[in-house]
Amino acid sequence: MIAADDVPARLEGIVKRYGRRTVLDRVTCDVPPGITGLVGPNGAGKSTLVRAMLGLVRLAAGEVRIYGHDPTRNPRAVRQLVGVVPEDECAIPGLAAVEMVRYAARLSGLPGTEALRRAHEVLDWCDAGQERYRPVETLSVGMRQKVAFAAAIVHDPRMVILDEPTNGLDPIERRAMLGRLTTLAHDHGKTVFVSTHVLPDVQAICDRVIVLAAGRVRLEGRLDELTRPVAPQLRLEITGSVAACLDRLAAVGIRGRRLDDDTLHLPVQDAAGLERLWQATRAAGVVVRALTPVQERFEDVFLRAIAQPQEAAHAAS
Amino acid sequence: MPLHDVGYRTWQGHRRGPWSAAVAIATTGTKLAWTSRWLRRAVFFAWSPALFFAASFFAFEQAIDEGRITSLQERAARGSNLDGIGLLGTILADTLGRSDAAQTHVDRDAELVATRRLVWSRLLLAFMRAPQAVLLAVVVGLVAPALISRDLRAKAWLVYFTRPLSGIHYIAGKIAVLATVVAAVTVLPALALWFAGVLVSPSVWVVVETWDLPLRIVAASVALAIPTVLVALAYSSLTAESRIASFAWFATWAACWIAHSSLATADYVAAMDAHATAVADGLESDDDDWRPPPRRVNWVARAAGVDTTIDRWSWVSPYHAIGVIQAWIFGVETRPEAYVPPLIAMIVVSLVSIVVLAWRVTAPLRA
Repeated sequence: MIAADDVPARLEGIVKRYGRRTVLDRVTCDVPPGITGLVGPNGAGKSTLVRAMLGLVRLAAGEVRIYGHDPTRNPRAVRQLVGVVPEDECAIPGLAAVEMVRYAARLSGLPGTEALRRAHEVLDWCDAGQERYRPVETLSVGMRQKVAFAAAIVHDPRMVILDEPTNGLDPIERRAMLGRLTTLAHDHGKTVFVSTHVLPDVQAICDRVIVLAAGRVRLEGRLDELTRPVAPQLRLEITGSVAACLDRLAAVGIRGRRLDDDTLHLPVQDAAGLERLWQATRAAGVVVRALTPVQERFEDVFLRAIAQPQEAAHAAS
Repeated sequence: MPLHDVGYRTWQGHRRGPWSAAVAIATTGTKLAWTSRWLRRAVFFAWSPALFFAASFFAFEQAIDEGRITSLQERAARGSNLDGIGLLGTILADTLGRSDAAQTHVDRDAELVATRRLVWSRLLLAFMRAPQAVLLAVVVGLVAPALISRDLRAKAWLVYFTRPLSGIHYIAGKIAVLATVVAAVTVLPALALWFAGVLVSPSVWVVVETWDLPLRIVAASVALAIPTVLVALAYSSLTAESRIASFAWFATWAACWIAHSSLATADYVAAMDAHATAVADGLESDDDDWRPPPRRVNWVARAAGVDTTIDRWSWVSPYHAIGVIQAWIFGVETRPEAYVPPLIAMIVVSLVSIVVLAWRVTAPLRA
């Protein structure tokens, strides 16, 4: 756990029910500085969790703190600090893109002239400047998404919450959007909280991940830790005979696994094992092209997490 | 990257409070409403009746300037018809006919001041009740239905409620949009009319004599605006389809007007029957000119406050109820039994509308 003062958002045992259906079931998690991804299958409760963080839903139990403020008791203080890109396309028909962003800025308390200056500035940064005078309802889905992002950051919030931010973006725009999120988090110190079901997006930018399924946190932690295999392994890429290399490795006590014609996975955990690995490859007469720690694919980690029986998952969380 | 792209920059300026958000909602909403060609036409048309009323002010002040007011007063006192000059004639006949200043000639200036105040009040009341209230219903019907329903349809409530403002600021902003429209249709033309009256009067001291009329104009407009605006917004908040809200708005005015007319007619028929029975029984004489009072005056005369009968069904119809309240504000109607029922009815309607509005606007936050 991170010290309470350092955590921008902290959720403690929150429960949300719609009628008899429990959408969030004793959810406890932290959102530290950096980029945190909230992932889960459709209907996992991601959007409800985001709304709970903004005080937009009534909770049956639990507590949410955003920079120390309770969003249900002091929503204004929270919303001053947070910028939101909602999942739904929401815009005011009839307003041009720059007017929409300016409107968002003024709703957040920026004076009129400053709001207009900031609107132009963030639209340029979001690469939406060329469409700034077109009415929002005539923009493409991707452009509307960029305008929504610009509206979320125009008041320079400390935390940005994005619900499915890459919806409707083409691959180039998607990469650009992820780059902007990284810039906000790493260059400007913003806390970015991304709710998505696009796992490659999470793997591309997130420092930390929360896996939510059926209203419960199934997994939470740093992405590099979650994708580290239980038994550390090295991935060896060589040029030469794989069979000879495997024989030599076996001779020094390393039982490797062949992946393809030039790649092996080796259960090497310490410096002594590494020394034996170098000796074996020299003896086998192969050229080592790369030696890297094996990381699990996040997709595999995610699928394992959501496949857990609910009770076991709850006990684990 | 364009030359003017300065990248992302932090912003450290001072933020204003949530009421600045309400102002932003009001200004943006007014701007969006003004893009409607129909609204621009309606507002332009709303000023045209002021020309007719300005002519009435001119005719009255000209009569005073030429010294004809006493002769008019004498004719009215004798019961002579002054309808030859239209609405002004009706108002003058009623105002002057009740005065005995023409006979006594005592303190004529004071009597003239009182007459002017009453004539001006009645002209302004007629202006606000007859053309402006109807035009306001049309204009509000053009603007209000889309104000909240459009946000519901576009899911734009998240634009507002992820920002540091509450439902109160949102509703206040939307009300301010309609208040601007109300001001454009009623307050500003009525104030312009009063100013025109000052300009065509013989002396600028008329300003001192009628200084309270601009305040009464504003108060009468507020009385008109509060129930109408709240009802219109409540309808808008109940549906994501502005057409349905529009239909409900106009249907309410029409249905209530019809209900009022039906009830007044029922009273009239009952009174006629009672009179016929009384005549048959020999309790009353059969007078051909006899009519129950509510049917004896026309719509414009009632709007001007010339009709002295108490309309006991006025609370049924927003148009008639607001008219009676405005007559009270202008000092034309002073009988509590006339203005209290409509006043209570409009307060109840406004409160119910506020409850509906608050309930609907905060519905997404109560999920």
